Amino acid sequence: MTDRIYDVLIIGGGPGGYTAALYAARAGLSAAVLEKMSAGGQMALTHQIDNYPGFENGVDGFELGMKMQQQAERFGAVTEYAEVYETDLSANPKVVKTSEGDFYGRAVIIATGASPRELGLAEEQSLIGRGVAYCAACDGMFYKGKTVVVVGGGNSAAADALLLSRVAEKVIIVHRRDTLRATKIYHQPLMNAENVEFRWNSTVEEILYENKVTGVRLRDVKSGEISEISCDGVFVSVGRKPATELFKGRLELDKSGYIVADESTRTNVPGVFAVGDVRTKQLRQVVTAVSDGAVAAFMAEEYLAEN
Amino acid sequence: MAALNIDRNRFEQLINQDKPVLVDFWAPWCGYCRRIGPVFDKVADQYSDVLESVKINIDDEEALAEAQGIDIIPALILYKNGQAVASIVNPQSKAAIDSFIAENMP
Repeated sequence: MTDRIYDVLIIGGGPGGYTAALYAARAGLSAAVLEKMSAGGQMALTHQIDNYPGFENGVDGFELGMKMQQQAERFGAVTEYAEVYETDLSANPKVVKTSEGDFYGRAVIIATGASPRELGLAEEQSLIGRGVAYCAACDGMFYKGKTVVVVGGGNSAAADALLLSRVAEKVIIVHRRDTLRATKIYHQPLMNAENVEFRWNSTVEEILYENKVTGVRLRDVKSGEISEISCDGVFVSVGRKPATELFKGRLELDKSGYIVADESTRTNVPGVFAVGDVRTKQLRQVVTAVSDGAVAAFMAEEYLAEN
Repeated sequence: MAALNIDRNRFEQLINQDKPVLVDFWAPWCGYCRRIGPVFDKVADQYSDVLESVKINIDDEEALAEAQGIDIIPALILYKNGQAVASIVNPQSKAAIDSFIAENMP
């Protein structure tokens, strides 16, 4: 057990997690980051980030994640490619059970982030990669010259639709309201794009498929009328959900599932802190996640000094 | 050690040797593929005694990718004695790759 006990155990290797690791390590604390895949979290799938200060021409999210990891490791933080299965956050030290065995932390910082929200339709999961996708920047290239449906009306749906309109032959936006919720800068380019159509007041009832996606069945939310459209791909862009399944019943969560913590990053359990997109906050961005990471390391240091 | 990118000729050689081969089919524009990169290097290292782990860039090896039936990436395919015996598409964690190897490498 002793070789796997850390002052600060960090769950999740996105910008919040690795900034916490950097600050903890520089404060002389032992710190480990548990990451199931690779550094960066959601930003690893973003090819260009234009609102992270210091990069006048933008920065690649994957590279930024790798740099944050290397920077934290330079000061002694370690990374374990481990998927977390269970936690005991009230034990002393706190226990985190993973695919790579058990780890122990005197303090724990949760940086598990968020992921795309699903439509919740039958077969949606099993059709991922066979026509169902959640990231236009990642999977858009497969739909060159094809017809795709984008579900949603917010900023990410609008950005996805715009990106896809440059690749696909036709883009059909399906939105349950009669206007986009996305900010104005997206409206005109989408309305002007010749290959973008809208299906307002509509929800996706069912994804039609044989081996791959062949179309969607829509319901008009006003008239109740059902219709079908053919398509090769369905890009789901209906918001995000926090990765907090593991903490249900263990930490206080709000009604959307986010961990309740204020700017101090303290949760309702002593010695447990929440940073980045997983925490209740006004603005979920790389820059606010890294800020949380620094605060959490400081709060953890204070907690460890007193306990 | 990082998993090497190989071409068609090397692929044909490798899969016909005794040691099973795990191929990561990827492309530079594929976000999920890049995320797997560091973990795949770790896997290559961890299983190097029993498994040859290599990568194929499908943009460089279009014909090969098509012949192998790749229409979704990232795809990891396990080859034994020249045959594809199992595959996993877009694994979401190192743990998922570990289980895939454990299930298919008795």
